[in-house]
Amino acid sequence: MSSVSGNSGTLLPIYVMADESASMNANMAALNAGLAHLHLKLLAAPMAAAKVRFSVLGFADDVVQRMPLVDLRQQSEIPQLVARGTTSYQAAFEELLSRILRDVDQLKADGYKVHRPAVFFMTDGMPNEGEDWVGAHRRLTDRSVTKAAPNIISCGIGDADAQTIQMIATNPNFAYVSDGDRVGDAISSFCTALTQSVISSGTAMANGQAELIVEPPAGFRMVVDEI
Amino acid sequence: MEPTPHTSPADGWLDSYLVGSMDPSVEPLPVAESPHAPATGAGWEPFVVGTPCLRFEPRPPSTISYRPDTLCDGWSTDQLTVRLASVRGYAHRHDGRPREDDVAAAYHQPTGTVVFAVADGVSSASQAYIGATLVCRAAIDDITAQLDDGPEVDLVRTVRSAAWQLAARVAGGGRAVTAEDSQEAERRYATTLVAGTVGVGRHGVPEVSLVQVGDSGAWVLHRGSGRFERLLKTKDSTGEEVLSSAVTPLPRVPTALRPTRVSLRPDSVLLVGSDGFGDPLGDGAGEVAQLFAHHLRTPPPIRGIAHLLDFSRETFDDDRTLLAVWPRHLLPGDGGE
Repeated sequence: MSSVSGNSGTLLPIYVMADESASMNANMAALNAGLAHLHLKLLAAPMAAAKVRFSVLGFADDVVQRMPLVDLRQQSEIPQLVARGTTSYQAAFEELLSRILRDVDQLKADGYKVHRPAVFFMTDGMPNEGEDWVGAHRRLTDRSVTKAAPNIISCGIGDADAQTIQMIATNPNFAYVSDGDRVGDAISSFCTALTQSVISSGTAMANGQAELIVEPPAGFRMVVDEI
Repeated sequence: MEPTPHTSPADGWLDSYLVGSMDPSVEPLPVAESPHAPATGAGWEPFVVGTPCLRFEPRPPSTISYRPDTLCDGWSTDQLTVRLASVRGYAHRHDGRPREDDVAAAYHQPTGTVVFAVADGVSSASQAYIGATLVCRAAIDDITAQLDDGPEVDLVRTVRSAAWQLAARVAGGGRAVTAEDSQEAERRYATTLVAGTVGVGRHGVPEVSLVQVGDSGAWVLHRGSGRFERLLKTKDSTGEEVLSSAVTPLPRVPTALRPTRVSLRPDSVLLVGSDGFGDPLGDGAGEVAQLFAHHLRTPPPIRGIAHLLDFSRETFDDDRTLLAVWPRHLLPGDGGE
């Protein structure tokens, strides 16, 4: 793909990969409300918003694109996530790999410099049995194989397994599990932390420092404490 | 005893002046139409490249000492013309943070050498703007002192001197600097630095020496072609798929620190800048590069370089600093172009 010369700007691609399995049904309203709130907050922080591109993906048996990688300032609303099917981590990571490579290529072809993408992965359950999700995850996160390998921040709620959540995060400081049974509150905390992370990261880029700042969600505990 | 009121021959002068100036019997002069464009005129708008940044009134910076939004300076020696500017980034203006870049330049008359330093305080440091100012001043002082002893300048010594200055600021007076001071200096004052000299060698050819710590950069603009030649490594010169903002700033001094030397050709301009300038310049082939290639063919007016550097382009909202040096014969109206 040919590149535009010069430099149109520097962007941070951010993906939300949310569990849409049937067990999430009771919590979808909270998650959708949280993403809508993020949208409003980002519109109020236009300097940060200008430096971020945002995508929402839902995974169950497969991955459904709820929103491609877009400038949220140009969006009237964030489409809804919908509970359905099983919990295929493998489908989620394979989709992220192909999508991130494609999106980064496109942004660069449009003349942008790109910071290492960030994925906020949220799940409430165990991965489907018999799937090689670990292999797909390794291909996605191995920087010697995938040059644009993302940072993954993983959040587990409900029945999510703490050790699995830690395996998914690309840094021990990026793995969180909810602290209690109030899943709705945990989702709300996740969305608040996501919003802060997105705004802080956009601001940090503006100030020329590190590309990703992760705010720990309230009511979650870092998984590393349990190991 | 009641204190005696302080009196002086001037007492009463101010009152009578104010009263006199507001005397309704004095007819004010009519306000004439100014032949000049108003100060709010379009000529003061920033250059827009592509999509502009958000328009807003800047917030005052939160600092412990005065930090102006913009500084600019310029002068010519017999053989060289210097222009420099440092402008607060749109993001810092929006968020009420100070300009964390700084720049300094001086002329060492006995050797005919221009001495310069550009620094970019690291935002995660608590007083980055002080760090940037300290290392610029320290570098200028050290190079000037070395030139007093002869034309050879050890720029590695200059970097060490600047790093020491940061730790010494933590230590204060009266005691030796410790490793803990240096660690605290990193938390408070971490900053990049590019420092160096432009001397005039045999046959009047400007000779540039410079040294780099962190991701501030230097380039030569070839006026004829409009091409920018990178003299130092910058964050987008590494060929990586994704950018990294990680820098190793002062007070850490790289072990392999090697000054760069280059001769400035008669059609060339030396540019030294922070990444707030270097990032939008990119590979030197885009619209920002075209803007600077056009306007820096010859030295602009002193205030003009600040205006130029304050261009508006979305996502490029970091502080920007640029120092430029031309052979003096390129100065417009000065017997040159």
